[in-house]
Amino acid sequence: MSARAEPLPYYPRGPALALAALGPVAIGAIMAIRAESASPILAVPAVVFGVVAATSPALYIATAATGTAPPLGAVVRAFGVALGAFGIALAGLLLPAAFLALSSIDTVMTFAAASAAVAAAAFLGLRRLASELVSSSKDPFPGATVIKPSLTSSTVFFVWAAATIGIAGRLWWDLASEVLS
Amino acid sequence: MIGALDMGAAPREHGSPALIDQLLRNRDAIVARIVAGKDLMTITRTMIATIAITMAIVGAALGSYRGGIQIGYAAIKLPLVLIGTAALSAPALTAIGAALGRRSRLTADLALVITSLAYGALLLVACTPLILLGRAIDLTYHQMILSTVAMFSVAGVASLRLVTRALSAETGPGRGSAIFGLCVVFALVGGQLAWSLRPYLLRPRTPEVPFLRETEGSLADAISGAIRSARGIYTRDSAPLGD
Repeated sequence: MSARAEPLPYYPRGPALALAALGPVAIGAIMAIRAESASPILAVPAVVFGVVAATSPALYIATAATGTAPPLGAVVRAFGVALGAFGIALAGLLLPAAFLALSSIDTVMTFAAASAAVAAAAFLGLRRLASELVSSSKDPFPGATVIKPSLTSSTVFFVWAAATIGIAGRLWWDLASEVLS
Repeated sequence: MIGALDMGAAPREHGSPALIDQLLRNRDAIVARIVAGKDLMTITRTMIATIAITMAIVGAALGSYRGGIQIGYAAIKLPLVLIGTAALSAPALTAIGAALGRRSRLTADLALVITSLAYGALLLVACTPLILLGRAIDLTYHQMILSTVAMFSVAGVASLRLVTRALSAETGPGRGSAIFGLCVVFALVGGQLAWSLRPYLLRPRTPEVPFLRETEGSLADAISGAIRSARGIYTRDSAPLGD
């Protein structure tokens, strides 16, 4: 049995997670400036991390129940890497989003730019989560059972991702209604 | 430089003129240097200077349609648009790629984006005679606007093509998403930054020349309005008149 392969990240995990924590606050600050209300500074991170915290156990339970789950530690690690990827992506998109949002006089444009940045970073985070889970399944820790990616595991992941996006989208829309009103 | 080549002498690899010559003649070679991480600071410095000089010339040519102080204003603002676009877009390229496992190399990505914009700037400065010809044959303001948009579009596509060619040569994950993300950010940020720093081209009869216009509407609204005006469909009675 070969040693567990270290999957992709070319970035230090700690700073990436710090960026994941600070990025949504910065996006909230951009929206707060236009809304002239401080609530988005708290609301944006609450939506992002609340949804991840609420839905991530469901993914593990569903994949474990269908026999397609990597070990719990590998799933936790995959979520950590994916959150880091989300933070890195959001950090890179923050400057363009801030520029587009604050150089426009239209509140809708501000909201669209902020939403697009978070949505793109979330999409990249989900992609990274999928690839990390596949990588963990193929090459788990020594002694663990190797799980091949299957239609069932893909279906579970896509249903979970759709539900997560749906919940986050609804909460985001509620936040938008407050900002745009 | 060309004379030196003709005489069989080896070209100077690090000189600015040699780099610009290489950018025009052998883009694969300059991309290979960036990918290999060679002379990144020299390349970036040279390309920033190239953008500053060439876009100042293009800006001055556009400003000459109105004349006077607008020549100077446009010569200052156009280089800022390109350099600002590079500064805002390059981190997005690095971050999107890094999120998906691409090797994180901000300096090389910045050099690549700046180099591609310098290539576009060189193409635009080659179009300067066409801008001056438009002035010479008294093209209308809206015809000039549309000609300028066409020239900048060609240069923008050429710039993006250079970046995508460089990134396509890479192997590993995150490449496709990084290219797509960069194209979107590049177009949005470049368009909005250019829009925020306008005007560059003003009617000759414009009475007062502002350094920056007040923010109004969106870039998309402005483009559709210019197309309508070029077709003779106006939404206001007259353009501003001089005293």
